Amino acid sequence: MSRRSIGEVMLDVKNISLSFGGVKALTDISFNVREHEIRAIIGPNGAGKSSMLNCINGVYTPQQGSITFRGKTFDHMNSREVAEMGIARTFQNLALFKGMNVIDNIMSGRNLKMKTNIFQQALRIGAAEREEQAHREVVERIIDFLEIQAWRKTPVARLPYGLQKRVDLGRALAMEPQVLLLDEPMAGMNIEEKQDMCRFVLDVNDQFGTTIVLIEHDMGVVMDISDRVVVLDYGKKIGDGTPDEVRSNEEVISAYLGTSH
Amino acid sequence: MAESAVSASHGGALTESLTFPQCLLAHARMRPEAPAMREKYLGIWQTTTWSALSTMVLQMAAGLAARGLKRGDHIALIGDNRPRLYASMIAAQCLGAIPVPMYQDAVAAEMVYVFRDASIRIAVVENQEQTDKVLEIREQCPQLTDIIYDDDRGLRNYQQSGIESIDALLEAGALYEQAHPGKVRQAIDEGGFHDDCAMFYTSGTTGNPKGVVHTHASLILPSRTVSQQEGLGPQDEVLAYLPMAWIGQNIFSYAQWLINGFTINMPESQETVMIDMREVGPTYYFAPPRVLEALLTTVTIRMEDASPGKRSLFKHYMALAKRIGGRILDGDPTVSFSERLQYQLGDWLIYGPLRNALGMSRIKLAYTAGEAIGPDLFSFYRSLGINLKQLYGSTETAVWVCVQPDGHVRADTVGKPVPGVEVRIRDNGEIVVRSPGLLREYYKNPQATAEVRDAEGWYHTGDAGYFDQEGHLRIIDRAKDVGQLANGAMFAPKYIENKLKFFPFIKEAVAFGQGKSEVCCFVNIDFEACGNWAERRNLPYAGYNDLAAKAEVYDLIQDCVNQTNADLALDPKLADSQISRFLILHKELDPDDDELTRTRKVRRGFIAQKYEVLLEAMFSGKDSQYVETQVKFEDGRTGAVSATLRIANAKRQQGLAKAA
Amino acid sequence: MGPFLETLIGGLMTGMLYSLVALGFVLIFKASGVFNFAQGAMVLFAALAMARFAEWIPALLGIEHKVLVNLMAFILAMGVMIMLAWVVERFVLGKLVNQEGVTLLMATLGITYFMDGFGQTVFGSDIYKIDVGLPKEPMFLLEDVFQGGILVNQEELSAAIIAAALVALLAAFFQYTGTGRALRAVADDHQAAQSIGIPLERIWVIVWSVAGFVALVAGIIWGSKLGVQFSLSQVALKALPVVILGGLTSVPGAIVGGLIIGVGEKLSEVYIGPMLGGGIEIWFAYALALLFLLVRPQGLYGEKIIDRV
Repeated sequence: MSRRSIGEVMLDVKNISLSFGGVKALTDISFNVREHEIRAIIGPNGAGKSSMLNCINGVYTPQQGSITFRGKTFDHMNSREVAEMGIARTFQNLALFKGMNVIDNIMSGRNLKMKTNIFQQALRIGAAEREEQAHREVVERIIDFLEIQAWRKTPVARLPYGLQKRVDLGRALAMEPQVLLLDEPMAGMNIEEKQDMCRFVLDVNDQFGTTIVLIEHDMGVVMDISDRVVVLDYGKKIGDGTPDEVRSNEEVISAYLGTSH
Repeated sequence: MAESAVSASHGGALTESLTFPQCLLAHARMRPEAPAMREKYLGIWQTTTWSALSTMVLQMAAGLAARGLKRGDHIALIGDNRPRLYASMIAAQCLGAIPVPMYQDAVAAEMVYVFRDASIRIAVVENQEQTDKVLEIREQCPQLTDIIYDDDRGLRNYQQSGIESIDALLEAGALYEQAHPGKVRQAIDEGGFHDDCAMFYTSGTTGNPKGVVHTHASLILPSRTVSQQEGLGPQDEVLAYLPMAWIGQNIFSYAQWLINGFTINMPESQETVMIDMREVGPTYYFAPPRVLEALLTTVTIRMEDASPGKRSLFKHYMALAKRIGGRILDGDPTVSFSERLQYQLGDWLIYGPLRNALGMSRIKLAYTAGEAIGPDLFSFYRSLGINLKQLYGSTETAVWVCVQPDGHVRADTVGKPVPGVEVRIRDNGEIVVRSPGLLREYYKNPQATAEVRDAEGWYHTGDAGYFDQEGHLRIIDRAKDVGQLANGAMFAPKYIENKLKFFPFIKEAVAFGQGKSEVCCFVNIDFEACGNWAERRNLPYAGYNDLAAKAEVYDLIQDCVNQTNADLALDPKLADSQISRFLILHKELDPDDDELTRTRKVRRGFIAQKYEVLLEAMFSGKDSQYVETQVKFEDGRTGAVSATLRIANAKRQQGLAKAA
Repeated sequence: MGPFLETLIGGLMTGMLYSLVALGFVLIFKASGVFNFAQGAMVLFAALAMARFAEWIPALLGIEHKVLVNLMAFILAMGVMIMLAWVVERFVLGKLVNQEGVTLLMATLGITYFMDGFGQTVFGSDIYKIDVGLPKEPMFLLEDVFQGGILVNQEELSAAIIAAALVALLAAFFQYTGTGRALRAVADDHQAAQSIGIPLERIWVIVWSVAGFVALVAGIIWGSKLGVQFSLSQVALKALPVVILGGLTSVPGAIVGGLIIGVGEKLSEVYIGPMLGGGIEIWFAYALALLFLLVRPQGLYGEKIIDRV
């Protein structure tokens, strides 16, 4: 659970509908996310969770509905603009830069924070050099935080899955985002790795106050760490509330929470 | 006092009888800007000079005093090697308090015992994980008043009382120093060379742990002798990576550190130890045999992945090294000139880069100890030109009993007694030691102390051994474990187990045969080595249990067992204890399941009890046996693992009939 | 021995120039996944621009100082290439972002023909001279070791040095700067790159501009040697086999590949040529490339796909 006091509504998703050709991925979804909270989006496979995240992130443009972030409303955005607004994300299937090592991947997340222009950087003049050092220190702290020091210089393609997920998280953290969208951060992990990841997510929320929206399948994790939950099924919202409220919701139970995982 | 130490020092190494805090002050006075410790943090090595360390220690001591720590109190230290943890150890000693370093992977139950036995007043811990563990047991430890942590990650919001960071402690220290100027200095001056300085709990293979009490003198005296004998000095670089609770770490990276004034380097994390070692290039190094074995395995595996050209080059030069490398290191004059030339070429091509990859390019002196080391493993390192030597000692003797002298290094001995240390063999074969490095006592346990140290001051090691013709000591086994087979022949299980463990495919072995007519053993395969072997033969496997059950793997292990038997057959005393039958366990023996001690020594009695059904099956000639075992997960939950294990027969040497 | 060394050195120098053009391919492919068929045409286009500007500036502005004229022409030509990059990004690539590789390839083919035609229209279709002051006399090295010394063409030598320096600079840029990192990120995964805020459009303009810069330098060097004419783009197309040899995504591969092909061509011409009736130089590069496609399609340094099973 978030240890910080939860603030005002930061992200407001209103009446989002998304379809691909004839397939309706999302139908009239509305929910909000408050500052500093950990919000989980759950639902059976194919419920539309990733699509929802992709809409927030600007990868997909919904046919209907709008998203309000910090008071500004958008009906469509592209990923770059979303990133500039302070929303970072990780990917379900990892989208690490395979040609680079761990440090470079995380450094690329600092892109938006770099103020020197291309010429200064090319010639590594004073300001660019100092900036590079400063960014390097931030990245090192993230590496320390995620406990991946031993693999700094390893090309990410060579890392095992669990470590790659950490690097993905590290890259998103490097953006110093206000909102972190995590797409199934614990998928494919064993118990110990999941515990580690939970710890990181909680620490990020606690130490930096980052608002977190996460898609997750492991019900234990969701009940443990989230403040509020949104439940989707077949592209529709069927539940919205605290973990306890959602757990006792009839519709949710019948659709999804039949047996424990 | 400390002043005379300046003139009495030997190029920076201290020769006077100073307590550890007094040593620190001496170094800070003599070489204030020299590096005392380094830690890799955020990717770069951060150095603490002697003067900075001294300042920090004094302030910490003041802080501890402010928290009420008094002479004779005990303070627990739990964590990985971190500069501030080392500083807190010295800080405690400034006040005459006694640090009790503990293993960081200890579970709550083990910790409660130590906390209560030693009446721990203050616990200095590394991080949140350790803080949580201590909080869990706090109720059961009424003496504990303060928990002080180093790394504040995750701890910022803890509401419980009695917890503070080292930063807060330092602040309190500054205030205390203002209020009571010079009190800490006074406490340091009042410290005596023969005062208690630290306590180490031995991980007994039987019964409760016992607190081994050492004084400044017992830790310093033999360490200083050895330092002088081996030519250690302030310029040396040491990697501090082994657990702080272990006596070896306290000798190599604490006592000898404060005597010689060299620099200790602390790696970033357990995973980065090898990378960091390469960067540091230590000159004085210790590694237990399993670490050396793991390194060798990594090298061999990488070599198998290399191109055929590189592989044949490697094979050729390693064979050369095996023939003459060790002899060159020993200073053997019979090595011919052309051989030396070839070796030099090999040095440029193979040995140098290999030493570099291992991080051992600058090693002047490397020790290993703790368990027997396979001859192949030992000669591998020596043939590369690394001066690896064996030593023998224990927590109770502050390590130094025997050390191999340069030029007389063999795999199967532990060397000659250190100057100032007397070693004798009793009639029953037990090794006894008299040395200035002996423990003062077992804490609050006069009975145990009397059991182990007789009236003339000889310490009974509990090990059985003998001196060979060259005056080197050879260890056979734990004295009480040396048993007899049914026909009266000697049965030394550890000896057999070690021989089996020399094979890279066998990680652990347990031999049984006391009072029986034949010897049978359990084997744990080494997952990495066997996995690699299997992959090379395109043998798929789905994990440890699966691999351990494969027929091909059984054949592989069978081969190892047969070879061991052949070796045993050569010694008439041991020929009867050749292995008749063996099985491969479905799960690795683990300290968390109490099957091994924290230092990974086999707990034979417990294992015999736990796997009774397997033992019965083996000795009664069955071909296979179903077994179900309890396992403990790291978070304390328990589960069960079961399997049907095959029992295989080994080949004993012909001509030696099975004992009746 | 002497003649062998001559041929070898000559081959290395030519090879360096191939590398330079190949570098343009590699840059664009790495950053935008586009196989730029128009790279050769860009070399010609850039060279034309340079040549004509160098003529027009003295004519229109009356400046006669050679260095100044060349400098201004260079800057103007660079400006033209940057504009070209912007136009290509805006009107061609930007619209075709999510299309198949083949579509993008065809688009670059289209750009090729467009540039050829447009270039000729604007700049004319004669043979033009470029003179940036590269020394043209041959040098004789090691005269005491080998009889008569080794003939080294100074022009080629200085060209090779410039090319090498440029290659080193670009490699360093890619590896060690923030923008370089952004370029590599875009090359790897567009989606992810956008999600961390990297402006794809701007990156592509930068990449095409850098490729244009490389094309300009190559064009100047080659144009200075051979004169600026249509066959320049054919010569430049030799960079294709270089890229196949070295690996489409590898900067060092472009260098090594170029050198191998340059040397291979010259050596095979001189030593095998007489047996086969000559003309080896023309097809040697392509034959070698074909061989590589059969045996090792990712090239010497191209990325082997590391799949975790």
